[in-house]
Amino acid sequence: MAIGSAPEPVPVDALESLMARYQQSDHHAATALIERVSPLLHRYFLFQISNRRYAEDLLQETWMRIHKARHTYRTGEPVLPWIFAIARHTGLDNYRKTRRLESRERQVEVLPEHPAARFAPAEPVTPDMNAILQALPDTQREVVVMLKVLGMTIDEVARATSSSAGSVKQKAHRAYEKLREVLVGAKRK
Amino acid sequence: MTPEQMDKIFAEAANRPVPPTEPPDLVQRVQAAVLKDLRPVRPLPAPWVLTLVFGAVAFLFAGGSALILGLNGLHALGQDQRAAIFTAVALGAWLAALAAVREMRPAGGRRLSSIAFATAAVAFPILFFLLFHGYTSQNLIREGIPCLVAGLCVSIPAAFVTAWVLRAGCVLSWRAAGVAAGTLCGLAGLGMLELHCPNLKAIHVLLWHVTVVLVSAALGFGAGWFADLRGASRPEDLGRFALGD
Repeated sequence: MAIGSAPEPVPVDALESLMARYQQSDHHAATALIERVSPLLHRYFLFQISNRRYAEDLLQETWMRIHKARHTYRTGEPVLPWIFAIARHTGLDNYRKTRRLESRERQVEVLPEHPAARFAPAEPVTPDMNAILQALPDTQREVVVMLKVLGMTIDEVARATSSSAGSVKQKAHRAYEKLREVLVGAKRK
Repeated sequence: MTPEQMDKIFAEAANRPVPPTEPPDLVQRVQAAVLKDLRPVRPLPAPWVLTLVFGAVAFLFAGGSALILGLNGLHALGQDQRAAIFTAVALGAWLAALAAVREMRPAGGRRLSSIAFATAAVAFPILFFLLFHGYTSQNLIREGIPCLVAGLCVSIPAAFVTAWVLRAGCVLSWRAAGVAAGTLCGLAGLGMLELHCPNLKAIHVLLWHVTVVLVSAALGFGAGWFADLRGASRPEDLGRFALGD
């Protein structure tokens, strides 16, 4: 599809089929895949970092990596774990990069007028859930977001995080216990 | 609070609409950038093919270099020792190759690199302890250093070849891939030493032959750590889809 031409109706296909056709350079499949997966990725990053601008940067970067790595997707395998494995590593790499940059930063007495948007103060987008999920360690929060917010299965989360289904269940169980305490505490207040 | 109430809270969070991205044409920009560079790609070969490739690399380096240096070790070993050692090396190499293959694609399966390394690091000392005797040596260092150097001279070039194969995939953690590849290539070095070195003293084999695996895995981890560091700080990671700000 040429950019700017009238969009043709895209049949509702399984993501796996779209991904396989994307590998074969099908423009409609690539367009549909990006349209359908981007909101999930955006939501995932929002729950991880609570900063919209940063989440958008990560979304773009994740698609760049997906595009470069598209030959490593195996036809017929679930596509969401493959995509979210790339997404979580994009997030991790950027976290490390930010930490490194921050460690090199020097304290100044007056803030610059236009600080880089990347380091803009956190802007909570989903305040309730975000606030509650912040009580969890990163690995547990990630599992809960994938399972409960994105609707992935335990097997899919295990694949995306390169761990076993048992480990995912254990993390989810611990996270629910912790969340239950937080939610009960919040209700009492 | 009941699990059902918690599920309801999660469901509400999941169904809450995500605010439109800002700038609003973000998805369209991503689509345009992807479509501009859209070409058909050949999918990566099946995992079993890649496992065979890694296995073949290790086998060729170990066997080839032992043939060049001489098969003195093979002749010195008894039938049982040969069977036990080379079966263990082959199994360890298969596990390490599988671990390396899993690192080549995102969501490639449960991470095995640390398991492969731990298995090799524990199994071989136990095996050699059971198979060989002799815990004293007058020339421990003088006899051992050439073995260590020869083993690394096999494992390091093999590591370059495995790294070249790994680059055909999409490695997300080069540290894990480095440990897996280092263990595999270290086992190639160990295999070569068992074929070539006629010194069957337990202390010599335990100290110098097994060390090749440990040093190779450590070098693999170090190289992977450096690659991860470089990958994470590469400026183009941020820029290609940048929004012109």
